[in-house]
Amino acid sequence: VAVPILKQGSFLIASVQSALTDAEMVELRSSLTERVSRHRSRAVIVDVSGLDVIDSFTARTLQDLTRAVRLKGAQAVVVGIQPQVAFAMVQLGLFLEGVTTALDLDEGLGLLMQREARVHAGE
Amino acid sequence: MSDGGGSVTELTPRLSAEEQAALKDVWAVYERHYDEIQEATLAAAEADPHLRALLAEQRAGQHRSDPAASRRLLREALQEGRWEGLLESLREQGGYYARLGLPFSSWFVVVTAAQRVLLNRLFETHAADPPRLLAAITALGIFLFDVTLAAIGDEYLRTRESVIEQQQAAIQELSTPVLPLRPGLIILPIIGTIDTGRARHLTEHLLEGIRAYRAKVVVMDLTGVPAVDSAVANHLLQTVRAARLLGARTVVTGISTQNAQTLTRIGVDLSGLITTADLQGGIEEAEWLLSSLRAERGATAVDATGSAAPRGD
Repeated sequence: VAVPILKQGSFLIASVQSALTDAEMVELRSSLTERVSRHRSRAVIVDVSGLDVIDSFTARTLQDLTRAVRLKGAQAVVVGIQPQVAFAMVQLGLFLEGVTTALDLDEGLGLLMQREARVHAGE
Repeated sequence: MSDGGGSVTELTPRLSAEEQAALKDVWAVYERHYDEIQEATLAAAEADPHLRALLAEQRAGQHRSDPAASRRLLREALQEGRWEGLLESLREQGGYYARLGLPFSSWFVVVTAAQRVLLNRLFETHAADPPRLLAAITALGIFLFDVTLAAIGDEYLRTRESVIEQQQAAIQELSTPVLPLRPGLIILPIIGTIDTGRARHLTEHLLEGIRAYRAKVVVMDLTGVPAVDSAVANHLLQTVRAARLLGARTVVTGISTQNAQTLTRIGVDLSGLITTADLQGGIEEAEWLLSSLRAERGATAVDATGSAAPRGD
């Protein structure tokens, strides 16, 4: 597998270390979605801090992933988009609508734990 | 400073054979009366307040110009028609003095002083041969003004332009500070008009700021932006979206009544933005956003008092 997927409690963490081909990106989407069912995960974090470029295909696949994971009752957070990557993305009109984002893995985990806490508090 | 743009060849005079020949006469007179010309130009320079100050400074420090070298370059140009060395040296001097802030008009003082002596001596030398005299005077004019002052002036313009560019960059740098207000919250006050170049700089600056301060909320204050049109609005929307990709929410504040009306009239959709009337409201909104985040997180760890004390994360 090109991208290691770690299981951390009820979260899955996929850390993209280097540029992925379209096929690898699709594989990541499928295997993450599949593992959400297998591990009954509550959330998925995709760390893209290793990417120098996020093109339209990657952006769309991340959006698809978010939707697919959500259909299984879990959440998805994309973390670690580099400033210059973010700048290039908005220039290309890639805004990742509907995708939750966070600065890095730490913030992403914090965000998810807050949401979990809110769910448990019955809000 | 002789890099880029115009090359020396661009400034090389296109002289007819007669003009180049007449320049030899000029050179002969110049060479013969070299000391007198030096004296006259120095006297003229001493009379000019700007040049006097500069000369005093140069005397105090090491003397920069090398009379023998410039004399050789002059001979190459006037006698042999090889202009490259002279033009290069003129441009170098032009750039040097432009950076020192010597007004360009001071060059006229020096050049006309030299011209006066040269004209006098040319008249003496060639009084018996008016056509030759006329040719020499014409050639002198071309040499002094079309070549010498043009080359210096060209470099003056180039130097001043580069100074202006540097200052613009400096102003731009100064005008988009990213201010951390408290953990997780930064303020970006924008002052002045926004064009594409500045919007780009601003966005890059903000994104770096978000990462550096680990900001979760950004307050972007537009109180100092005179006009917000659709182009500016689109730039700002891009900035907000880019910030969101880094996980930061943006509160836009200080859109004036007039700008608000303009934006609604031209139909720019800003519905995705959190906006407040003024900076105060923006900071309150940002605090609320932050405290809701903090309270949620606090539910698992500490008690959710909503206090603004910095968290140790």
